[in-house]
Amino acid sequence: MSAPNEDNTQLSSHFFGDLLDSIIVDVASECHRIAKVGLDRNLEEEEEELRLSAQARASVADPSNSGEANNKYVVDIFGQTHPPVANEIFKCMNCGRSIAAGRFAPHLEKCMGKGRKARLKVTRSSTAAQNQYSRGSPVSTYSSYTNSTSTSRLSNGTPGFAGEEYSNGTYEGEP
Amino acid sequence: MKHSVNRPPTPDGVVDQGKEPTLQEIINIKLIESGEKERLMELLRERLIECGWKDEMKALCRAYIKKKGRNNVTVDDLVHLITPKGRASIPDSIKAELLQRIRSFLVSTAL
Repeated sequence: MSAPNEDNTQLSSHFFGDLLDSIIVDVASECHRIAKVGLDRNLEEEEEELRLSAQARASVADPSNSGEANNKYVVDIFGQTHPPVANEIFKCMNCGRSIAAGRFAPHLEKCMGKGRKARLKVTRSSTAAQNQYSRGSPVSTYSSYTNSTSTSRLSNGTPGFAGEEYSNGTYEGEP
Repeated sequence: MKHSVNRPPTPDGVVDQGKEPTLQEIINIKLIESGEKERLMELLRERLIECGWKDEMKALCRAYIKKKGRNNVTVDDLVHLITPKGRASIPDSIKAELLQRIRSFLVSTAL
């Protein structure tokens, strides 16, 4: 056989390229499907927010204030009317997007609360904090911290094991 | 060689193709029939997910879709978008691993 290694290498590359192309098509069609079916919540929500923000701004800029079915205008004692949607635009401190003030609360709810990534970020830091408070023994950094604070508390006149002052009783289990 | 590989030409008036299946086609069939192609594809998929390549490609797609609007994008667009970058950003270790596996398969089928 003439140069079997070369043939083999070329064939291998060919088949590798084949596999790779298949996988690329898979990834592309998956992304396409997610986008079209609307499974990518972020994409949809952003469109929705942009649309509603624009809508809010438009209804505010619209000078014809009275007689609109969906505008409930309250006239205050100075005779001023307030638009149903606040028109100032702020930047969200969490994700950095520009949001109309009237849409700010729902945006924050999605940005900080319901979104999968947002919730993961929040729970990761809060459960880490909770673990340290509820289990005394395994976290050595925590116990060394409490030791240092308990020594400073001894000046209060409570001798011996200051650890018992802590309201979470699990500390007594500390070996 | 299995009979399924060297079938006689179908008798429905189609012009006789004449040549034997090429080496590539033969190997392809062997890969598929032995199940090795499926295994290789799963291995490659797993490695690409682990190293974050798939996420990079998905991010590229999402950015493109956001720009174009989700109703103006076809699968074809995305494939053309990802293919050059995808092929270029394969980590060398993964490529070497797969090539090695393919090569051993080629050798083991004793061609």
